[in-house]
Amino acid sequence: MGARGRVHRKHFLKRVWDQRALVLMALPAFIIVLIFSYIPMYGISIAFQKFKPLKGMFNMNVQWVGLKYFEKFFQSPYIFRLLRNNLLLGVYSLLWGFPLPIIFAVLLDQLHARRFKKVVQTISYLPHFLSVVVLVGMIKMLFASNGIVNDVIQWMGGEPIYFLIAPRWYRTLFIGSGIWQGLGWSSIIYLAALTNVDPQLMEAAVVDGANRFQRVWNVSLPALMPTISIQLIFSISGIMSASTEKTLLLYNEATYEVGDVIGTYVYREGILGGAFEYTTAIGLLMSIVSLVLITLANYGSRLFSENSLW
Amino acid sequence: MKSATKNKIKKPLGEQIFDAANIVFMVLIILIMAYPMLYVLSISLSSANEVNKGGFFLLPREFTIDAYTIVFKEPGIPRSYLNTVLYTVGGTFFTLLFTSMIAYALSVQDFVFKKFLTVYLTITMFIGGGMIPSYLLMKELHLLDTYWVIVIPGCVGAYNVILFRTFFKGNAMELREAAMIDGASEFRIYLQIVVPLSTAIFATMGLFAAVGHWNGYFSHLIYLKSSEKFPYQLILRRLLNSVADLTNAKELDNEMAQEALRNQKYNAKNLQMAAIFIGMAPILCVYPFVQKYFVKGMFVGSLKG
Repeated sequence: MGARGRVHRKHFLKRVWDQRALVLMALPAFIIVLIFSYIPMYGISIAFQKFKPLKGMFNMNVQWVGLKYFEKFFQSPYIFRLLRNNLLLGVYSLLWGFPLPIIFAVLLDQLHARRFKKVVQTISYLPHFLSVVVLVGMIKMLFASNGIVNDVIQWMGGEPIYFLIAPRWYRTLFIGSGIWQGLGWSSIIYLAALTNVDPQLMEAAVVDGANRFQRVWNVSLPALMPTISIQLIFSISGIMSASTEKTLLLYNEATYEVGDVIGTYVYREGILGGAFEYTTAIGLLMSIVSLVLITLANYGSRLFSENSLW
Repeated sequence: MKSATKNKIKKPLGEQIFDAANIVFMVLIILIMAYPMLYVLSISLSSANEVNKGGFFLLPREFTIDAYTIVFKEPGIPRSYLNTVLYTVGGTFFTLLFTSMIAYALSVQDFVFKKFLTVYLTITMFIGGGMIPSYLLMKELHLLDTYWVIVIPGCVGAYNVILFRTFFKGNAMELREAAMIDGASEFRIYLQIVVPLSTAIFATMGLFAAVGHWNGYFSHLIYLKSSEKFPYQLILRRLLNSVADLTNAKELDNEMAQEALRNQKYNAKNLQMAAIFIGMAPILCVYPFVQKYFVKGMFVGSLKG
């Protein structure tokens, strides 16, 4: 085995030398990923130690503390609130945000006027490209006590609602704005699947006397099923990952109770508060949760349909 | 021909109603999607007096660009806009360069490290260090509060490498053999054959990267300290927050805050709307012309992702 190994290695080194140009081209990306993706993975180890910021991440003289910081999180008075907020935002986003783009795509597909369809598409994709700062800025303007939404409410004879500081409106604003921003863009992938439906299949359905609703139900929807499964796997695996960036902009003291999520908690305690070990432990827990979720969703999808990511 | 038969056979009433309802629904969607943006624009271009009156704005009332002049005179704003441009240009450039180079190497069938690098990159799609270890690393590398911390760390994404590689394989790689026989080096093949034949994917990925950089604020918030390095989105956030505090105070009937609002020469709302619009204007301007690239990019992803 030794001799063969040596021959093999020689052969290998020769190949590397022959392909040195390619190796050189791959090198910058390799190094960047090594430094900025893999070293932080190693950095997770500080979740299990007493971290000395002055000595840094590569300090070899480590004082291990076991699962202390995980226990601290499980005993934290905020853990229930944080998990609940993450989960509820995720579940409601999935319930509302997942089916709507599919329905929108099917309805778009039923439009005959091509020009009009193009216009609808162009306008509905646009919000996807607005930054989250701009989006939340717009929410704050439109839903302020003197904003247009309250103007309309008052014009219809209602009492003005303080949307931005009302905990019971927080999730609606968060998820509603998400749908506003993502509806058109998320529908693209379904629309693509619909345009790939075999026209002969559609014609056969017409000849068989199927009406519009039957055609949508029996031809279009089955054609969408593989795409729906894959998208569902992604959506389910993201169910605990409420956007930190958006939350940080949208919540305020009055809505912490429903708005605060794991990501913003980690940001406040870690980046602002310096509790690095504790927040790294929380981050690790959340990565594990989302890995488990994507595996489960993938497994489930493989059970119920033939579609899966791996 | 198809339409001819369609005209002859009159559609059943149910379907006609459905078509009409569908069109009405789509018009509603257009209004819901477009009106908020139109509202922002009209308020920003209206006079403070008219904005104070409230109500619907379809077009600006008492047209004025005062709000924009004031926002641009605000200290720090031109600077932050320039910063955003620099982050966007630099970030997009390095993303395209490094991603496409490794993708080229990976699309060569017998590349020695092909398997290793594929696994190496794929792992990063599922596992990451997270916010805090990354932050500590930047601190350790003395990258905090530098230009490079924004531009370099996120520039190689596994998913983007896959998209580039897929595109190269389908388009330019057949020519590589021929060029090799002619004695061209890998760098020449990359620069003179692969890149020119792949402008579509470069345009698409470049646009996505550029929009991402233009819109980003979170890593800037974490990694940057000095406000002269802030991008526009961070300044915009501060601007919106500071005035939002005033409007909140108004809701709470705080007399001092109300006084502050009254003393402001211009309605806070105009300024905020102008600032918001400045933040999205470049994207709105470019979007109609590049929309097809974005959509194409989605398809590249959905076919071979």
